[in-house]
Amino acid sequence: MRKLKKRMITPRTPWSPGPAAWQDDLSPLPSSEWNYDRAAHLLAHAGFGGTPEDLEKFADAGLDRAVEALVHYERLPNPKMQPFVESGFWDPSFDHFPESRPDATDRAEKNGASMGVDVKPAGNRPVQPVSDRFFYWLRATMLETRRLGYWWANRMLQTTHPVEEKMALLWHGHFATHENKVRDYRKMHQQIGLFERYATGNLRDLTIEVAKNPAMLYFLDAQYNVKGAPNENFAREVMELFTMGVGNYTEKDVRECARAFTGWYFDDLAFKVDPDKHDAGSKEFLGRIGSFDGVDILRIIFEQPVTAEFLAAKIYRFLVRDEISPALRRSVGKVLRDADYEVKPLLTAILRSKDFYSAASYGGHIKSPVEHMVAMMKHLGAESMPGVPDFNQSTIALGQHLLNPPSVAGWAGGKAWITPGLLIARGNVARDTLIPDMTGFRDWNFNAGSDNVLGERLRDGYDIGAATALNDPAKMSEFDRVALERDEKFNTRISGYIGWEQAARKLIPTPRDAARFDLTAMVLTSGAKTTAEAVDYLTWRLLRVPAAKETRDALVAFLTNELGTESLDRARTYMEDPLRMTGHLVMSTPEYQIV
Amino acid sequence: MTTKNPWNKINVSRRDMLRLGAGGIGLGLFGGIGPVPPVLAQASRSVTANQSDKILVVFEWFGGNDGLNTIVPYGDPLYYKHRPRIGIQEPDVLKIDAQFGWYKSMRGMKRLYDDGKIAIVHGVGYDRPSFSHFTSISFWHTAAPNSGNEYGWVGRTGANLDPSGVRENMIVNIGESQTLAVKAPKHVPLVFVDPQMFKRAVFAPEKPVLNTLAAAREPVGDTHRYVLEVTKSAAQASEVVRAAWSAYRTKASPDLRLLDLDKVVALIEAGFPTQLYYVPLRGSLFDTHVNQASPHDRQLQYCSDAIGGFFSEMERIGRADDVVMYVHSEFGRRVPENTSLGTDHGTAQVNFVIGNAVKGGMYGKPPSLSELVLGDNLQSTTDFRRVYATLINDWLGADATTVLGEPFETLGMIKSQAAKTRAKA
Repeated sequence: MRKLKKRMITPRTPWSPGPAAWQDDLSPLPSSEWNYDRAAHLLAHAGFGGTPEDLEKFADAGLDRAVEALVHYERLPNPKMQPFVESGFWDPSFDHFPESRPDATDRAEKNGASMGVDVKPAGNRPVQPVSDRFFYWLRATMLETRRLGYWWANRMLQTTHPVEEKMALLWHGHFATHENKVRDYRKMHQQIGLFERYATGNLRDLTIEVAKNPAMLYFLDAQYNVKGAPNENFAREVMELFTMGVGNYTEKDVRECARAFTGWYFDDLAFKVDPDKHDAGSKEFLGRIGSFDGVDILRIIFEQPVTAEFLAAKIYRFLVRDEISPALRRSVGKVLRDADYEVKPLLTAILRSKDFYSAASYGGHIKSPVEHMVAMMKHLGAESMPGVPDFNQSTIALGQHLLNPPSVAGWAGGKAWITPGLLIARGNVARDTLIPDMTGFRDWNFNAGSDNVLGERLRDGYDIGAATALNDPAKMSEFDRVALERDEKFNTRISGYIGWEQAARKLIPTPRDAARFDLTAMVLTSGAKTTAEAVDYLTWRLLRVPAAKETRDALVAFLTNELGTESLDRARTYMEDPLRMTGHLVMSTPEYQIV
Repeated sequence: MTTKNPWNKINVSRRDMLRLGAGGIGLGLFGGIGPVPPVLAQASRSVTANQSDKILVVFEWFGGNDGLNTIVPYGDPLYYKHRPRIGIQEPDVLKIDAQFGWYKSMRGMKRLYDDGKIAIVHGVGYDRPSFSHFTSISFWHTAAPNSGNEYGWVGRTGANLDPSGVRENMIVNIGESQTLAVKAPKHVPLVFVDPQMFKRAVFAPEKPVLNTLAAAREPVGDTHRYVLEVTKSAAQASEVVRAAWSAYRTKASPDLRLLDLDKVVALIEAGFPTQLYYVPLRGSLFDTHVNQASPHDRQLQYCSDAIGGFFSEMERIGRADDVVMYVHSEFGRRVPENTSLGTDHGTAQVNFVIGNAVKGGMYGKPPSLSELVLGDNLQSTTDFRRVYATLINDWLGADATTVLGEPFETLGMIKSQAAKTRAKA
């Protein structure tokens, strides 16, 4: 067995929630109050946590330099960030992708082709290639979006700018669009870039960019918002969900706002304005009159004090704790407004404040499933997200499908992240991550689910009619089977299967490796000698809120029993899996879900 | 203990905890910090004096049910013009009147209708309808068409019925994952599909440690308190759900196919305090783009039989007067059939409100088959939030205007006797 470098064990700083009196106090924490535990609190909230080695650096830097390094991250090199490598699904024939399969096939019947694919000149199912093509893109963009989410999760794990990724994740849930409707992974990718670029930039500028973002334009029906027939979808959401909150504008404001955004559209990945479809007339909006366009409208919205409070509270609740008092809401709103909507001064104020380190903020935040998965890898010291279990399947099981928030309102977040079933699922995902089922794993990207049977039947030589029959054609008479085959223009059911097959052929496979980490080395390096010390080290490393004493004692008993000894030195050659089970159990505690 | 456990040095004392409570972060929510963990106390007073016994079961037919082939307008020649190949022919209709009838495989629901226990609501939808399954269902879940809400309408109804959120298992959602409809500001919905699977994936030696997870302890704050409650609820609920389920299985007739409604029966029979059940249909065949006759026939029969069976179970256990079921989809389907003997995503749909407390009959104006909108679609005539408001106000006795954010006229399908009983309670 290789020799492990022993580190000097610094005495562990005790858990250090500040006094209740600090709550709602935005004045800076005195530097004398800074310690390792508070650095751990800072990283857990502002980023995705860290290894003790990371945290020691922040502890040594002192509060001001730690916050400075986190918030003004641009100066830090970020060598592990890799561009997203596309599988190569896109080609320009998918531009103006049909709204629906009937739209696709109607177009083809009218024009003889659609999405770059021709209708067959003769024979049964002449429009089948077009129907197949439609489903090919639906499957392709869905599968590629899974890769995109996984790629993004790896960025969250590997970045030296955790605040950038954490805030990008906030904006994704705030300015929520989902690939399910957008149906173009490239637009989702473009949007991640936007959220990273403006992660801690100016919120007014970010909102203007979002209003011009192709994914958002499509998602909120910009194409239907034209002069004379304004569509209020974006106009309503921009005020209700993105900037002010309900109750701060009238229905007339919504209508006038919609008029200002008329003619905004996108051409593939570029923002465009069609002057012929834009209503340049005079509008009355939030008490102001002028021939406003969309940018003017957003500027007026950002003049409203309520906007600063709404957005600052959103940031606060995302980073610090679920509940914010009206007084603190006003205070953070003022900081944001005084900084003309620059986010960095607000983050600096929050992360340095006594409030942030007060008892109410300790354990005041439930990790989202994506945070949970990334933090798990951080805590274990893994350098990349595992392929087994699948990242997307895991977070979906926990209630968060990255790049597919449930609605324009984003994820409810906070307490909604945890239900009895979801809590159990968190423990189950932790087990599958620490002790992955490598031999039982099946890659869902290459599994068409209920459509698999269609492939089996086609490959068994059945006609499309028999292959798509409700009942098993193998159990039918030849007469019945033949009767199932019929003249039709196309068969959408079979297209669902063929589209998946064709997309899967091109898809870059996700490496299906297990998370790479070594708990034996980790625990021995910590200087732990006994099972009790190993449990105390792991709970200290993984938890931000102490677990029940009963759990701690049961963990020690469990580990001792599994190792057959209290001595780690005696058990060093075989203790990896028992330590992993210990890790799974720690990650199953209610305390592990909160920071 | 001689270890270096850092948690031994926690510098929040019990006095700090009490001060935190006084500081208003909600530690007093369940009546202060006492030696009895609040969740245990809750379990023991799960049926409180002011608690109504009215139950709403929402049975969501996801996939986009073809309302025109469900309640068939066989008396309208236009129907057959739009659907020359897949229209339901008169002999296949269980007639209601000269205009409408049930599709033939729906005998279970037809029987309830004949007993005056089903309200059929025609033309239910909303303005500027979405043709996306997911977008449209999110509008129905949030009761916020072309808008959004963090919480679902059922979750908000729960908060309106029980503003302090103290009632355990107020909301049950039978499903693989929590549906947006039940996402609740005050409650922890119990979400499960297979009672046997509602348990932790563990290796055998890990079990003793897992048994300690719900150990009583002082929460460090409101959020910690919440996750501790959920942990407790997970441990308790998984047991009681499994107990209720195995008890039910021994009594249930093997011929009864209730889809996922069997779990609802099991919990109601076991005396669960749940008032709001949400059951999205799984493995739906309602998205009938292709060759729809056979799958639609089968799906309608399954659902209709399940509903008939559910209410006969309610009669058996003596709770039929206490339960109203509501059935909806995310949209109806295009009026004209497509070239694949199916139908595409549409707009307005038919809804059902079912129970002894319901005044059976037809409600809402049937949409015209001659004046189609938005590319061959039905013009909706009844905003779905009117049905929600009816259930919230007239059945559950909650305040629909608060839940829905604006007033909606109710449809008057709940018997006043039911309302009176509720008022007395």
